[in-house]
Amino acid sequence: MIPVLGLVAGVVAGLLLQPTVPVPLQPYLPIAVVAALDAVFGALRAYLDGIFDDKVFVISFVSNVVIAALIVYLGDQLGVGGQLSTGVIVVLGIRIFSNVAAIRRHVFHA
Amino acid sequence: MASRTDTGPVAPRADLLQYLSDTALDADYARVTAARGAPVTSTARRRGIGPALGVLLAFGMLVALAAVQTRSGASEAERESEALRAQIDDGRADFAALTGLSNVLQQQVADLQGTAETASQNDADLLADLGRFRTLTGAAAVSGPGVRVVADDAERTKPGGEGAVLDTDLQVLVNGLWQAGAEAIAINGNRISPLSAIRGAGFAITVNYRSLSPPYAVQAVGDSATLEARFVDTPGGQAWLDLETNFGLRFDMDTVESLSLPAAPAARLRVLYAERQGELP
Repeated sequence: MIPVLGLVAGVVAGLLLQPTVPVPLQPYLPIAVVAALDAVFGALRAYLDGIFDDKVFVISFVSNVVIAALIVYLGDQLGVGGQLSTGVIVVLGIRIFSNVAAIRRHVFHA
Repeated sequence: MASRTDTGPVAPRADLLQYLSDTALDADYARVTAARGAPVTSTARRRGIGPALGVLLAFGMLVALAAVQTRSGASEAERESEALRAQIDDGRADFAALTGLSNVLQQQVADLQGTAETASQNDADLLADLGRFRTLTGAAAVSGPGVRVVADDAERTKPGGEGAVLDTDLQVLVNGLWQAGAEAIAINGNRISPLSAIRGAGFAITVNYRSLSPPYAVQAVGDSATLEARFVDTPGGQAWLDLETNFGLRFDMDTVESLSLPAAPAARLRVLYAERQGELP
């Protein structure tokens, strides 16, 4: 319950404060969100599996976001930013789907 | 499911999609749990809720930010396309206005061309008229077919005698030539203009105030085929027939294919008092 409250508080804070993202970082915000989504669903699945660890969650979250943004940044510098962000989103999307499927099995026992 | 979580790092497989879904859960969770020896209890989990809460807070902010940014970007794109649409409409309106203007101007050009053609036609008409009037008044030297008449005193006649050519004889001759269809006449190279007088001065005859002496060569430009025949039928022709037979005056008329008549002197073309009535055409 408390983590959900934290999530809601974060969304509200983001909507209310609307801190400005530096313009050079703006293109990487969506990819960072997808990477963070992957980390969050992974954590939720680990929690339901009973093997959640906060340190692993924090590290996986930060590294996911940073690495995804870095890969896309590198792609932009090489002129293949669009293709690389597509690749990153495909990989992260498959991981998210797998994790959500596992979570579903935990929740519905099916 | 459980077997996947408690194994170590999954070996790479040829099937990439299978590998991706197999390693969907971060292997570190399993490794840390294995190192700790047993699944964590709920109390242990609660201890670790602080950093996780912070991360979730950050995640929520990240999502909200991305959503806000995407929406503002979309509305910006909307504004831009709106502005572009307005520009397109403006451009279309400009195009329509300019097309209308172009049509109007083309119409004007066509009108002006018509006016210019009419004006140049008028100019041509005026020039033709001018040429004709200059020819008729003797202002211009002319050439053309016609007849040459040589009139002379009778043989062995003293100046002013019975057999001399009088000024009235030449007047009758010139009148007869006009009547026969002559268009330009000159006597001894003196062009007859509307103001020319043929009169006697003493024993001499003057034309354009120039004294002439016999023989008198009268050149008349006109239809060379009919001029001579028609002249004979005029009173002038009859009068000269009488002069020839009764007084022995010499009269000779020849048809000439090409005559050259000089212009009348400018003094005989001066107009001082007559004023033209009406407009020029």
